[in-house]
Amino acid sequence: MKQLLFIIVLNFSPVLFAQNNTIAVGEKLSFTASYNMSGLMTEIAQVNMETGQVKTSNATLLHLKCTAATYSKWDGFFKIRDLYESYVSPTSLTPYLYKRDINEGSYYKFMQYTFSHKTNSVKSLMRKKNGKGEIFDKTATLKINSGTKDIVSTIYHIRNLDIHKAKIGDVKSFKVIFDNEEMVINVKYISKETIATAIGKKECYKLALSLNNKDILKGGSNDNLLYLTADANKVPVYAKFKIPVGNGELKIKSATGLKN
Amino acid sequence: MRQLFIVLGLIASILALVMAVTPLSQFAYLPALSALIFGFAAFYISKRKQMPKKTVQLIFLLTIISLVLTTYKSIFNTAEVGNLEELELKEEASIEDSKEILEQLDIDNVDIDNGTTELETEDFQDIQDLEDQ
Repeated sequence: MKQLLFIIVLNFSPVLFAQNNTIAVGEKLSFTASYNMSGLMTEIAQVNMETGQVKTSNATLLHLKCTAATYSKWDGFFKIRDLYESYVSPTSLTPYLYKRDINEGSYYKFMQYTFSHKTNSVKSLMRKKNGKGEIFDKTATLKINSGTKDIVSTIYHIRNLDIHKAKIGDVKSFKVIFDNEEMVINVKYISKETIATAIGKKECYKLALSLNNKDILKGGSNDNLLYLTADANKVPVYAKFKIPVGNGELKIKSATGLKN
Repeated sequence: MRQLFIVLGLIASILALVMAVTPLSQFAYLPALSALIFGFAAFYISKRKQMPKKTVQLIFLLTIISLVLTTYKSIFNTAEVGNLEELELKEEASIEDSKEILEQLDIDNVDIDNGTTELETEDFQDIQDLEDQ
C-alpha cells in the first residue's frame, strides 16, 4: 500500500509541485535602465540580477539578488544603490526571506519579510529614516494568502512559467506582497516577437503586466511589457514600464551562467 | 530685432555650453540648434544693416564648442557604474545576517508549493478595461 502511494505521489508530483526548470545557480543578468527625460531615453542605471546558493544547517536555498546602481555621471545628481534579495526554495522558488534595502538620494528604506507558509503569514520589519534623520524600526505580522510571494521571487516565477504551453491571451495572476500590502499582478501572454538585443536577435514571448486596483503601473496593456526569450532559459531581455512619474525601459547587456 | 536675436542667441548658446559639460549633454543639441537659428538671424540683419557682427561670432563660437563637446561625449563616453564598494559590503553583511535568520526558520517543507507554472485562459476585467482605454 505504501509503495502504491509512493508511485502515485511520484507520478503526480510535477502537477502538484511547480518545478524550477529555468533558473540556475550562478546565473548573472545585467541590464541597462533608461528613463524618459523630456522625450529622450537616457541611460541612468545598471541593474543586475544574480543567483547564488546559501546553505543553512537544514536546507540549501537559492539566493536571488537584484541590484540597481546609477551610472557615475548621475551619482552627483541622484545616487541610487538598491539591493533586493529573496531566499527561495531551489526547486519550487517558494520564498522564505525577502530583503529590500534602498538608498535613493537621501531616501533610505529597508524592508524584510520572513515568510511562514504553514500559518500563511509574514513577519515584516521596516527600517526607515524619520524627519530628523534618525533610523527607526517598525515590525508587524501580516496575514497573507496562500501562494503570496515577494516581488523578486515573482519575477523568477514568471520566468519559470510554462509559456510554451500557453495560448495567446492566457493570463496568470500572482499575489505579491510589497510595502506590507498584498497586490495581484496579472501576466498576460500577448504574442511571440523577434527583437534585436545586445545578446543577439531573439525570438521572445511578449507579456503584458498589470496590477489589480493599483496605480503603480500606468497606461494600457502595451505600456508595461516584458520580453522573455522563447527558449528554455526565458531570459528577460527587454522590459518597458510606465509609472506615475514617467516611463522607462530595461535592456539586457549580458547574460551568463544560464541553465540551458 | 537684431538685439533680441543676439540676446536669445547668447542665452541659448550659454545654456548649450553649460548642458554640454554636465551629464545632460545629450539635451544640449536643442539649445545649440536654437542658438544657431538666432545667430543666423542676427547675422543676416547685421549684414543687411552694415552693423558689427562680433557678438554674433561669439554666439557661433559658443555653440560650436558645445556641439563638439556633446558629440565627443556621445561617441567616446561609455556609461560606467560608480563606486559599488558600499553596496558590496552591504550585500556581504546581508548574506551573513540572512543565514542567521534562515537558521531560525522552519524550512523543512522547502519544496512544497501550491503554485502552478501554467498560464490559464481567464478573462480579467482589469485587463479588459486597460485594453479598452
